[in-house]
Amino acid sequence: MARFIAQRLLAALVTIWIATIAVTLLIHLVPGDPVRIMYGSFQTTPEQLEEIRQRLGLDQPIWKQYLYYLGRLAQGDLGRSIVGDQPVADILLTRFPATLALTLTSLVIAVVVGMSLGFLAAYKRGTWVDAGAMVLAVIGVSMPHFWLGLLLLFLFALQLGWLPVAGGDWKSLILPALTLGLANAAVLARMTRSAMIDIFDQDFVRTARAKGLPRAVVLYRHALRSGLVPIVSMLGLQFAYLMGGAIVVENVFAWNGVGRLAIQAVFARDYPLIQGFILFFATVVALASVIVDVAYAFLDPRIRYS
Amino acid sequence: MRTTRKRILGPALVAATLASGHGVAAQELVWARYGDADSLDPHRATSTLSMQVWDQIYDTLLAFDMEGTPGPNMATSWEVSEDGLEYTFALADGILCHDGTPFDANDVKFTIDRAFGDNPSLTRTSWGPITGVEVLDPLSVKVTMSSKFGAFLPFLADSFSSMVCDTNTADTFGSSTAIGTGPFSLVEWVKGDQIVLAKNPEFTNLGDPVDNPGAPYIDTLIIRTVPEPQTRLAALRTGEVHIAEPPFDDVPAIQQSGDLDIIVAENTGQDVFWEFTVSRPPFDDIRARQAVAYGTDPQMAIDIIYSGLTNREWCPVARGVFGNDQEFCEQYGYPYDPDKAMELLAEMGYGPDNPLETTMFVWTGGNRHKLAEIFQAQLAQVGINAAIEIMDIGTMNARVKEQNESPDDPSPGTFDMMTWSWYDPDILYQLWHSPGAYSGFQNAELDAMLEETRTTIEPGARLEKVQAVIKYLMENAVHVGLYSPGWEWVFAVRPEVEGFKIGPFLHPIFTDVKIEG
Amino acid sequence: MTDTVTLAAHPEDAASARKTGFFRALLSSPTGIIGLAIVGLLLIVALAAPLLAPHDPLRMAAGPRLQPPSWQHWMGTDDFGRDVLSRIIYGAQLTLQIGAIAVGISLTSGLFLGLVAGYASGWAEKVLMRLVDVLFSFTEIVIALACLAIFGVGLTNAMIAIGIASIPFYARVTHSVVLVEKNKPYFEAAVAAGAGHGRLIFRHLLPNVVPTLIVVGTLGVSTAVLAAAGLSFLGLGAQPPQPEWGFMLSSSRDLISRAPWMMIFPGLAIAFTVLGFNLLGDGVREALDPRQRQR
Repeated sequence: MARFIAQRLLAALVTIWIATIAVTLLIHLVPGDPVRIMYGSFQTTPEQLEEIRQRLGLDQPIWKQYLYYLGRLAQGDLGRSIVGDQPVADILLTRFPATLALTLTSLVIAVVVGMSLGFLAAYKRGTWVDAGAMVLAVIGVSMPHFWLGLLLLFLFALQLGWLPVAGGDWKSLILPALTLGLANAAVLARMTRSAMIDIFDQDFVRTARAKGLPRAVVLYRHALRSGLVPIVSMLGLQFAYLMGGAIVVENVFAWNGVGRLAIQAVFARDYPLIQGFILFFATVVALASVIVDVAYAFLDPRIRYS
Repeated sequence: MRTTRKRILGPALVAATLASGHGVAAQELVWARYGDADSLDPHRATSTLSMQVWDQIYDTLLAFDMEGTPGPNMATSWEVSEDGLEYTFALADGILCHDGTPFDANDVKFTIDRAFGDNPSLTRTSWGPITGVEVLDPLSVKVTMSSKFGAFLPFLADSFSSMVCDTNTADTFGSSTAIGTGPFSLVEWVKGDQIVLAKNPEFTNLGDPVDNPGAPYIDTLIIRTVPEPQTRLAALRTGEVHIAEPPFDDVPAIQQSGDLDIIVAENTGQDVFWEFTVSRPPFDDIRARQAVAYGTDPQMAIDIIYSGLTNREWCPVARGVFGNDQEFCEQYGYPYDPDKAMELLAEMGYGPDNPLETTMFVWTGGNRHKLAEIFQAQLAQVGINAAIEIMDIGTMNARVKEQNESPDDPSPGTFDMMTWSWYDPDILYQLWHSPGAYSGFQNAELDAMLEETRTTIEPGARLEKVQAVIKYLMENAVHVGLYSPGWEWVFAVRPEVEGFKIGPFLHPIFTDVKIEG
Repeated sequence: MTDTVTLAAHPEDAASARKTGFFRALLSSPTGIIGLAIVGLLLIVALAAPLLAPHDPLRMAAGPRLQPPSWQHWMGTDDFGRDVLSRIIYGAQLTLQIGAIAVGISLTSGLFLGLVAGYASGWAEKVLMRLVDVLFSFTEIVIALACLAIFGVGLTNAMIAIGIASIPFYARVTHSVVLVEKNKPYFEAAVAAGAGHGRLIFRHLLPNVVPTLIVVGTLGVSTAVLAAAGLSFLGLGAQPPQPEWGFMLSSSRDLISRAPWMMIFPGLAIAFTVLGFNLLGDGVREALDPRQRQR
């Protein structure tokens, strides 16, 4: 198991390493002089720009810049933001808990709603329940989540006044988490349904039924457990999708996470912050996938040796 | 920080609550704005959102009265030498920084040295040609200039000159620590979310145009970021928020129902104007610039978008700023005249089959993008196809400069709806004296005229110099005023909040504020 | 999106379905019919927009400002007095353009990468697919944001960014189909017979990849439309006065209580379009892969 975890961690490190190369290149792909674009604002003189160029090492050859970047990274230094001149790492870390709370809450919503719907549809396969659940899922997949968010906001916060709109407490998490969770529940419902249908068709479920065990026990103990395996393997990807979806949803609800920060950074062309965000995002997603893979290995012993 | 907390729990608070007669615990005021401050370091940002927070944490040597004239504040008096190159300030005794250290001449020197240091203030040149700061004794300080600078005293009343205590040496200064002498001290800044300020019980009002001579009545001021106008309005209605900018389209309904007070700031110093990339076609030709000015109708646009909450501004410096005179400026202005615009374009060889192609830069927020959409439609009618690009103000500053510095760029030159808020016509020097903030329009004649606006101190004479510059900028369609004020100037206030004032140049003041009931 | 990959395992079914009348199969499934009808309707609306739209989508004060839906303005007017219905109709042109360009970029590039990686084998394949996997794990929205940070905002840039962001996905799908095909007897026979690279790739691998990519590409249009609407909603895509649906949604936010119709109709239009391409994609998959239909 230790070796398996080590392998997965190594793969995650490769991902993060490639991300560091990508973000170093990013600044050079921007057309024009990056220093002038970033710092050429009100009252900056050419001498000041030259000084900034030297301070940031942007006058060096690119491979040196990359080593320089890695060196600073090793000390946890992601550079300083252009807007407000503050350490990027600090900004990301203070904002990240909000994004994590949103992503995990919506993951729970997506899993609970999506898997129940998918399981129910598979169990009642071919009936109107199945058809209804799948129509719902197709609609859910097709609905833009920022629109769903606006509809929920309009209905529950502005029209009915049930939820606070400008607070930072847990109640203001409800709408964004529902928005993001429901949109992804639809995807999970479709996946669960097809996974469960495969399981229901397998011999061991039939055998269990033939033995006369009560149906419910059969379903839960055997089918659900085997059905979980492929679904858990998808959770890493789901987490990544939710993190990506959070970028948009945070902007609908003014949720104060890294996603809103990222959009503001793009508008402000705050490249150090954009670079930091991409690297941070890639790292979080890579680590999440390690965790999911390990959990998956615990659930399904066969995987460990493959 | 520790001392502040202790004091809040101490006798001052008991006295305050007893005086209000309600027995209510700490009074907390929530002010919601569309965005957050960029930095709490007055040398590291230029946004109005940042300045409005500095105003609460820091104080300035001078202060504006409601008319925008600078007067004594932390500096009780000052002397200017014969040659106008030396300013000696006498500081008030007994002012304390939030950390309990006394505020004195060393703090003034610290602030100015810092503004000119290795990592200079973003608005360094607005301090003027300062060559030295000398501490004469703890309560007097001398500032030396290399040449006369008429805008120095007003600058010392502006937030960019906020006095920073010399104990701000931690590298967290500006992000999680900020020590000043203002009416509130920093408790916590959750970036992007809220800034929590506690009242400074030691605060003495020496020059702000409010009634309260001492510390604020409210105990806590929370400045919260709520980007969506509709959300801010909903939060105002539920009482989660006390003061916020409302959605403009809802203002008439709010005024009619009277459930919230609408306060409109005056004398904001804000000017929204057209400026052009003059280094390449089409706007290197004055006729193209004039065509844009004639081809757009600011009055109609602001009536639609801002429901009459702002004014047509003819001058390149806004109402409330020295040199502003609507009648004077209007003679050189460009009234809406689409036919005239088309004539000018036809002279240049443009026509219905050959429209002038260009791009208009606009900065995000304040419904300016909607205004731009109206201008875009108006320009289309006279034969100008203007694409719109919406961007952050920092990006726009950089892009405008970059455009001017790219004379060989094959794409058509751009123009932009630029915005500046300044307390003095010296902004014209900073924008248009070569090399210029944006490397835009400049020539020796204009440079000489602008020099004179700095070195002429006597008001009557200076007015002449300033108006000569205004006339030149307008006749050449370099800086064409559109409207004023332009951003964050409308406040909806809950009825239980009393005493909320907005000083000139959009400095909200909270020391008089009480929450009733 | 993930379950589309299953098709890759049964390409021979796909080939046979193609031979036995793809369109009949497509039209025999309700999802296929509905999907085809929606997409057809969109095409007609987009092509005939000048005939169908009651007003000029850009003309301000076509009616009074912020009018609720009425006989003159079926979907009301916006805050400039523009006719919302006309804007939605013209918006269909932009939406289909987004779908075509974004999917065009990701499909061709992904196909190329996947084919090269799958055919090349060895370390080239390993490196290439590892890179694709890493990019895939960054998620499309982050890649798109990075692209926009480089190119600058705007609808054309957003289309390209979305196209680039989806390349890893198409490369993975292509690669997985190529792997299956390469191990089939006919391919091994062709290699043994000394067929050249070009022949192997274009005559043997490509035709077997195409059916899967048609399905993935159709579903991909809906992903691209959603992504572009999302970017425009954030202000990074369409710029005024373009009648792009996501951008219309974003301008409705300040007026959500006063003019909910400005929020409802563009959202419906996006959902309807995405639904259409999703159903069409499902229908095409069922038609190409009979095994799927029984489920």
